[in-house]
Amino acid sequence: MSRFLIQRPLPHGGRLVERVVTDKEAAKKMIKGCPSYDIKPTLHYETGVPVRNVYREIMSICYGFFSPVEGSMKQAEVERILKERRLLNEWIFPYPLVFDISEEDYKQLGVGPGDRLVLNLKGKPFAILDIEEVWRIDNPEELAHLTFGTPERNPEVVREPFNKKHPGWVIYRSLQPVVLAGKYTIINEPKFRPPFDRFWYPPRKSREEFERRGWRTVINHQTRNVPHVGHEFLMKCAAFTGDVEPCHGILVNAVIGVKRRGDYPDEAIVEGHEAVNKGGYIKPERHLPTIVLWDMRYGNPLESLLHGIIRQNMGCTHHMFGRDHAAVGEYYDKWATQILWTKGIPSYGFPAPPTDVPYGLDIRPQNMREFSYCPTCKEMAYSETCGHKREKLSGSFLRGMVAEGVQPPTIIMRPEVYKVIVKWWKHFGYPFCNEKYVINKEKELEVDLEDL
Amino acid sequence: MGEYFMVVLLDDHRMAKIRGTGLEEHIKYMFGGELRLLEVKVTEELKDRILQEFETARVDSRGAITDVPVAFMRELFNQVVEKKSLGPEVVEAVLEKIDEIKKAAEKESEYLPPPEIEEE
Repeated sequence: MSRFLIQRPLPHGGRLVERVVTDKEAAKKMIKGCPSYDIKPTLHYETGVPVRNVYREIMSICYGFFSPVEGSMKQAEVERILKERRLLNEWIFPYPLVFDISEEDYKQLGVGPGDRLVLNLKGKPFAILDIEEVWRIDNPEELAHLTFGTPERNPEVVREPFNKKHPGWVIYRSLQPVVLAGKYTIINEPKFRPPFDRFWYPPRKSREEFERRGWRTVINHQTRNVPHVGHEFLMKCAAFTGDVEPCHGILVNAVIGVKRRGDYPDEAIVEGHEAVNKGGYIKPERHLPTIVLWDMRYGNPLESLLHGIIRQNMGCTHHMFGRDHAAVGEYYDKWATQILWTKGIPSYGFPAPPTDVPYGLDIRPQNMREFSYCPTCKEMAYSETCGHKREKLSGSFLRGMVAEGVQPPTIIMRPEVYKVIVKWWKHFGYPFCNEKYVINKEKELEVDLEDL
Repeated sequence: MGEYFMVVLLDDHRMAKIRGTGLEEHIKYMFGGELRLLEVKVTEELKDRILQEFETARVDSRGAITDVPVAFMRELFNQVVEKKSLGPEVVEAVLEKIDEIKKAAEKESEYLPPPEIEEE
């Protein structure tokens, strides 16, 4: 065997966290006599609009996407993350994750360390939280700033102070003051509604699927967008990295969570990616669209670190990163993510890339620039190899075209993908997420639960 | 002072409407000729007014003003045809109908008619 062959990495932390009880009788016994709490969405501290639902974090933790994290974090762990981006067990991790409730709810519940709390979702028992510690967030604004950084503290990559226009900053600013810290366990597995059900590949299942397909090397494509041909070329060309041969598989992992107005609906995003392989533009044997539940924090390099963790846990060997990765606005340097994965960002606790520090990651970054149409080459061309003047593919230009009802040319959006957009446009009466979609989505979520 | 413009996309239906107006010679092609469009000139003052009137509007790296309501874009095309021009007077005429456009834009955030295309 060639010494250059790359093997599938172990999960981050060495083992996959799986905290899901599938035996209903056992689950009933586990919650007998325990107090319960109906999970509430986190509401924007000023407008009252839902900005996060902690159920998505519980799902991602218990199914192992966030391994080795096992629950809502203790105060010492959050403080360490904010200082060094490390968990108490040393493994690197970018964000505080907490189960937060109001003082009123806390008083009413009357729970404390050692208690087991049943968490209800949509009126049904969903998970348990074994409380180990209760602590308070005294200043959520300070927490939000410490989470993302400031131009003074993180001069390598932060360009503007974070504020209420940044959706991730708003999530931390909107947290309730009482944190119940401890491990989560899902005791009633939610059922995904179509079309999400067929894209649900939690880490154990995705690893088994890679094995079944004979994929030794797999490159991940992060998305929260309907794919245009630029994305398709990015996927196809990035996949040429691999080891002694191009990557066997391309994993598309769409982040499904709270939406912003103007985004494409999640349903169109996942089916749009599926349309790329159904149409044969990337053959299905090499391409797998999947989902992960997470309310995006838009933390650019920090978000890329979480993405690396999720996809390593899913079994990927490579991860593609582009310009403005998981970014919004101009808070970060456009190439902050690539800076992190190429040389590290010391002010965030990374004197070297996350793959080169102790208790770091094994997934390999594949830093990419851009693809756009070259009228001279008469094809999609890579910015770093094509020497001609190219026609940029702007997302807002494409959205404008779609909104006007003009079908984008095949060279920039495949007709199969456009048909998916129109399918969901007809369903929702709108091509993008509007206020109605955002409110309904947070009410209905992506799952339903049966009685326990 | 920068140079700004707005893009008017041309599908077959719109092409039929501009036939014979003299605008055909100004058609630009993108993406290997698969996309036809006209560029309407926008002055600095008009650009500022558009950005002020519509909070979603933005100027992209090419100087194109984007993300205005669909009602604005539809009226922009109507005025191009009516004035047979691509000069700043086109946007001026559109802005004269600002109240009407804003009313339509309000409804647009709830519903946009989908195109009639064949689905799978």
